[in-house]
Amino acid sequence: MNTIEIKNVSKKYDGFFLNNISFDVPAGAIVGLIGENGAGKTTTIKAILNIINSEGTVQILGKDSKRDEKEIKKDLGVVLDDSFLSNYLTPKQISSVMKDFYSTWDENKYEELLKQFGLPNGKLIKDFSSGMKMKLKIAVSISHHPKLLILDEPTSGLDPVVRNEILDIFRMYIEEDETRSILLSSHITTDLEHISDYIVFIDKGKIVLKAPTGELLEDYGIVKCTKEEFSKIKEEDYIRYRKSKYQYEVLTSDKDKIKKKYSISSIDKPSIEDIMLFYIRGER
Amino acid sequence: MIKGLLKKDLYNLASYKTSLIIIVLFCGIAIIGTDAIYWGSVVIGIIGGMISLSTFSYDEMSKSNRYILTLPVTRKEIVLEKYILAIGATVLGSLFGFVLTLFIGNVMNYLRPDHIIDISLETLFNTTIGGMFGVSLIQAIQIPSIFKWGSEKGRIQMFIIIFLLVIIGAVLGFFIQQAGFSINIEKLETVLKNFGLVLLVLLSFVMYFISYKISYKIYKNKEE
Repeated sequence: MNTIEIKNVSKKYDGFFLNNISFDVPAGAIVGLIGENGAGKTTTIKAILNIINSEGTVQILGKDSKRDEKEIKKDLGVVLDDSFLSNYLTPKQISSVMKDFYSTWDENKYEELLKQFGLPNGKLIKDFSSGMKMKLKIAVSISHHPKLLILDEPTSGLDPVVRNEILDIFRMYIEEDETRSILLSSHITTDLEHISDYIVFIDKGKIVLKAPTGELLEDYGIVKCTKEEFSKIKEEDYIRYRKSKYQYEVLTSDKDKIKKKYSISSIDKPSIEDIMLFYIRGER
Repeated sequence: MIKGLLKKDLYNLASYKTSLIIIVLFCGIAIIGTDAIYWGSVVIGIIGGMISLSTFSYDEMSKSNRYILTLPVTRKEIVLEKYILAIGATVLGSLFGFVLTLFIGNVMNYLRPDHIIDISLETLFNTTIGGMFGVSLIQAIQIPSIFKWGSEKGRIQMFIIIFLLVIIGAVLGFFIQQAGFSINIEKLETVLKNFGLVLLVLLSFVMYFISYKISYKIYKNKEE
């Protein structure tokens, strides 16, 4: 079963077109939405959340995102990069407000999370550091036990220690109930390598790749070869290539096959960032 | 859900408490210092009504509009909450002003028996209702302007709308006069004297209702 089903979602702005986006978020999975800044990640999330008017259909938890919007949002936890309830409230006041939005609001869990994150209860949010603010947003987003988390750039601008702490929270959230799902957008691909089950890669408003993370990290490979060696590799055996002064770098989705077929002795394991760069900068 | 939004706005407004106390003290002193005692309730009503609209600025500063749309709350409820807050703040402000004026006026009359201020409950009540009507007129124009253009631009647009309304009124008046319609002033005065307050209250509700409909229509399709 899928927690989110996105079909043919499109949105046009001046100079930008989110072009027929379709992908699913399976129940129990963490899906990472990656892409450059301005590629369409946030627009996709806004379309899913009905913050913008878009074409296409979005089903969340088996319900239509437009018709059953309010019902759906009761089971949803959201973190947005640049927006929150108010900067002029304290965490304690936030809890008192959230109680009125969610009948499932768990004050004890929220207090526990504040303690765990070392967040002061009585301090105004505007005086928090960006790491503290993000931890608070995450604490708020999971304290009503949502079935789905939608997170837009939750780790951007944070130092590695805080980022790691935040990724642990997401892992804990999923482990607590295996039917829960997370849709997480980020341009920090290393975070997603550690946590995501699937990757959806958007470039210039289009999905260019969607695949299980394990497949990308295990099956994909980068062949480094000379011009002559490259000329022997058939087009169907690679995805993109990049040429530098002295060598060719070729990205393949089946490293074992290419290894056998062309008797290549060593193939590098790519990171998701490498794959992303091949798709953006590489040639076909 | 509306309760949550109201709480959020009231917590935001709590940062105004020091300024509010100073304003009320200032108004109190002004009431003591003048015989035009009836303006106390009007001024405090206006302050209450206008401060409630500053919650739009708080939302903009925190960029909270987008986040609020991710919560289980409809756009209709978001718009309705702003009207509840605006009307509530105006009514409470005016009521407080009414009581404060009565209290200070009577204390002053007790302390200054040689300088008695004539406090007519009826006049004070009428002035308060008149003041509330004025605030409701401004709010009914300003709230849709803010929903459309944001709190900064909305204020400028509001003045433009008021200016246009005055021009339209003047032009209409001119044509009515040119067309030779005669208005029975005496009859009008009798109607206003007997039903003026009821008419003002009714008119306020009609204005708020139309304003709410316009605001919702604007916000329904607004993208954050």
